[in-house]
Amino acid sequence: MRSFLSTTSRPRRRLLTATLVATTALTLTACGQADDTSAGAASEGAEAAAPAEFDPDEEYTLRYAWWGSDVRHGLNQQVIDAFTEKYPNVTIVPDFTDWDGYWDKLATGVAGGDTPDVIMQEERYLRDYGERGVIADLNDFDIATDKIEEEILSVGEFDGGQYGIPTGINVYSVLANPAVFEKAGVEMPDDETWTWEEYQDIAIEIGASGQSVFGMQDHGYNEPGFMVFARQRGEELYTPEGELGYQDETLVDWWNIALNLQKNGGQPSASETVELETGGPEQSLLGTNRGAMGAWWTNQLTAIQTAAGTDLELLRWPGETEGERTGMYFKPSMYISMSADTEAPAAAAMFIDFMVNDPEAGRILLSDRGLPANTDVRTAVEAQFTAGDVKAAEFMKDLEDEIVDGVPTPPVGAGEVAAILARINSEVLFERMTPEEGAQQFRAEVEQAIG
Amino acid sequence: MSALSELSTLRKQKGGANSPTEKADGRWSLFFLGPWYIGLILITAGPLLASLYLSFTDYDLLTDPQFIGVENYTQMFSDPRLIKSLQVTAIYVFVSVPLQLAAALGLALLLDRGMRGLALYRSAFYLPSLLGGSVAIAILWRQIFGTTGLINQVLSIFGIEGQGWVSHPDYALSTLIVLNVWTFGAPMIIFLAGLRQIPEMYYEAASIDGATRLRQFWSITIPMLTPIIFFNLVLQLIGAMQTFTQAFVVSGGSGGPADSTLFFTLYLYQQGFASLNMGYASAMAWLLLILTAVLTALNFLLSKYWVFYND
Amino acid sequence: MTDLQERPDTALDTPKPDHVGVESRGHSRARSLLKHLVLIALGVVMLYPLLWMLSSSIKPNDAIFREPGLIPNQFDFSNYTVGWDALLHPFSHYLLNSAIIVLGSVLGNLISCALAAYAFARLNFRLKPLWFAIMLITIMLPIHVVIVPQYVLFSELGWINTFLPLVVPKFLATDSFFIFLMVQFFRGIPKELDEAARLDGAGHLRIFFQIMIPLSLPALATTAIFTFIWTWNDFFSQLIFLTNPDKYTVPVALRTFVDSTGASSWGSLFAMSIVSLIPVFLVFLFGQKYLVKGIATTGIK
Repeated sequence: MRSFLSTTSRPRRRLLTATLVATTALTLTACGQADDTSAGAASEGAEAAAPAEFDPDEEYTLRYAWWGSDVRHGLNQQVIDAFTEKYPNVTIVPDFTDWDGYWDKLATGVAGGDTPDVIMQEERYLRDYGERGVIADLNDFDIATDKIEEEILSVGEFDGGQYGIPTGINVYSVLANPAVFEKAGVEMPDDETWTWEEYQDIAIEIGASGQSVFGMQDHGYNEPGFMVFARQRGEELYTPEGELGYQDETLVDWWNIALNLQKNGGQPSASETVELETGGPEQSLLGTNRGAMGAWWTNQLTAIQTAAGTDLELLRWPGETEGERTGMYFKPSMYISMSADTEAPAAAAMFIDFMVNDPEAGRILLSDRGLPANTDVRTAVEAQFTAGDVKAAEFMKDLEDEIVDGVPTPPVGAGEVAAILARINSEVLFERMTPEEGAQQFRAEVEQAIG
Repeated sequence: MSALSELSTLRKQKGGANSPTEKADGRWSLFFLGPWYIGLILITAGPLLASLYLSFTDYDLLTDPQFIGVENYTQMFSDPRLIKSLQVTAIYVFVSVPLQLAAALGLALLLDRGMRGLALYRSAFYLPSLLGGSVAIAILWRQIFGTTGLINQVLSIFGIEGQGWVSHPDYALSTLIVLNVWTFGAPMIIFLAGLRQIPEMYYEAASIDGATRLRQFWSITIPMLTPIIFFNLVLQLIGAMQTFTQAFVVSGGSGGPADSTLFFTLYLYQQGFASLNMGYASAMAWLLLILTAVLTALNFLLSKYWVFYND
Repeated sequence: MTDLQERPDTALDTPKPDHVGVESRGHSRARSLLKHLVLIALGVVMLYPLLWMLSSSIKPNDAIFREPGLIPNQFDFSNYTVGWDALLHPFSHYLLNSAIIVLGSVLGNLISCALAAYAFARLNFRLKPLWFAIMLITIMLPIHVVIVPQYVLFSELGWINTFLPLVVPKFLATDSFFIFLMVQFFRGIPKELDEAARLDGAGHLRIFFQIMIPLSLPALATTAIFTFIWTWNDFFSQLIFLTNPDKYTVPVALRTFVDSTGASSWGSLFAMSIVSLIPVFLVFLFGQKYLVKGIATTGIK
């Protein structure tokens, strides 16, 4: 069996192939076809290893994979068309699906040795793919990153390599609907000074206003809110070394705030919270005009405004001036990565460079992936932003001086943490666990997940 | 195992082992079963055995599997979520399968024949099953069982304040059982087809003998339908053991709230694809296979006592 | 001898008296009215979610969750036109891809599963119970653990991003569900018919084609309908094996309307879900006639 012996190429497929071929061979003595194709694969693999310059006369084909909904698919197709118009010798095959399907498909493709050449990545899985050698260190290629702020860029950097380049940035913030505030007869807070105490009072007051609206939608199922909270105390969810970096007490306090809101009508019952959690932006309290506040990323502002049919405000998190430092941070919304065994690394690098640095691509994508990470591109396309994007851009500009630093790249296994947090959060909200038990359980499970 | 009981029924057929018919039939079996043998060898067996091998490895999908012996299997015994998922699956299997089959059989008998608008009714009752695991199901289910859903709107007319059924740990599993019963279309169709297959002559003979309808139902319809009931029972059980899509879609993949809808296969999927522990997921799959096989074998053993074959 | 006769078609809306007409006419009319009432009530409950989806598909996208009532305040059919063209190709492209896969699968399952079922139901061969058990065991593993080895296998064969991995297995009888289904139906056919035919000098091929196939039309129709519907709705394997949007099918395309992390086109999703339900519904509506029209044996003397 040739594929059994070919040790140099595509090692991650070797053992699995061997098993398959061996089981098949047991019952069937000849399996010529499988041999032929794997021999072909072997020679392809060898070619990929050789470094290559971009040759305008050579034909390249790239597969580019991303997740999203139809809006993003249309935009990405336009970007592809713009790029291939410039470089007609490159063909780019799109490969897209929704968020859940995306990761299943990507992992299966990698296992089968068919890694897409250019891959959209997310912070939670970046290290999984980077440390296991699936995606390439982009420092080896000619991709300009000098226009991206260092604290943003550094999140895609670990083990001495740049495994993903941020394409856009977001801020996790509190979205508020002034109309609901008014209806409830509650004044909008001053987000530069409000404390966690005031936040709770406001939310509960709105819930008690008799207007059948809630003050806040629970957001404890998602890590970033807690990250802000912990950072205000000088702690982190993950340390740069990839360990947990917060005190259990912090998480207990965090959950007690949510429980206080829940008990006093500031946020919905636990079961309604669970429903909202799986509903996404359009079905959220803000999106359906049933709540005054919610925790969302800045690039979700437009979607929620559209669903609500009214203008919303972006607010800083409570407690930014209360704790020992500010907790908010810029988060790269997505990363572009390159397969480590692409056959056309030069072309892939050109394409990544185009998406990150070319104002033409920026003009198409606008804020789809968050505001452009490249500051030059951001300035160049500002004029075309929608009202929501302009609001987000101004908000971020205001924050620039307040934000201290970025968060470290989450460790391998961080993809699981979101699910663990969501589960324990609902155990706490349903009062099947005390916040103390929840914090203990969370630490135990996360430590196992991130090894 | 299930072979055993099959054997017992097959033995009754004419021409026991090593008889001339068996030899002649053997050659014909190669013809009739040819495609299946080829499919087994080329398509089915490889991945099946590969997953068995992977269950003895540490495999993250992104790098080579590493052989670790039975570690995955021993780990399962001390995994509280796995035990929880077994409980969830067991409740689901033993409650929803009988309910769904009863609903399907009842409707099939009602919709068998002799009334106006039959095609329309059948189609209407089958429609929900067409939706299958569509992403829309999650939304639709919340419209009924959510906090502001249909059920609670009806309850509020009677002054009862309901709650989010689909999202409460005590009730979420029940709504999934209802969802499964709601999609009884497939077994209903199979029952309908089975009813068509019952030879008319039995009824004719019975009515000549003056048997009442009820008597005909119990002594002709039900016995003649037992092979089909048995089929539905076996396949629905196998299917229910692997329930995934509806729970995945309705809970957004989490098996929540608080693991109350964490089906075995959903947990297996989370391990395999979200946590990239495909080795562990494979071991779980083989545990599931063994449990399903035992259940199915039991089913075949018991079938001797109640399934009536014409041959 | 055997007398094969077409069973009267009861689907033609002609109420037929029951087998034994013991009850009085008035009694049976009241009964039938009651039956209809029960069925209609049940039908409304069953169909509520679908009606909600239909109603949502004609609401403006941003009103779907703000005004979740069943009766739309305003009618807006733009979800249909927008949704049809929202993706890379017009939606008809995905319908066509699905249709190709579905037709191949139906044909494959009908042929291969009927053949295999005949062997299990009527032939006597070595280790038959063992093979039967193996057949059932092959459907006891969840797809999520076999999909990766399958992917590797099909990748080795160069079949990724073609319809082959979705269709070829059906011609090789990998859907045990239908084999077992047909085995049960074949075993329900009186053996006297085979023996009579054998006395007439018929071999297995003739018995298969002239007795088994015509007598199990309901089972074949069931197989065809189910294969159609299940393949039409099958998301996971189509997602994994098809990597180029040119090859995407209806369920894969439908998923791309929603993104849990960002803005989703719910209106388009509901509208295109309705569109994609139409072919299956039609297939069902016409196919279910064969569940009635099956030829039944009316007498053996």
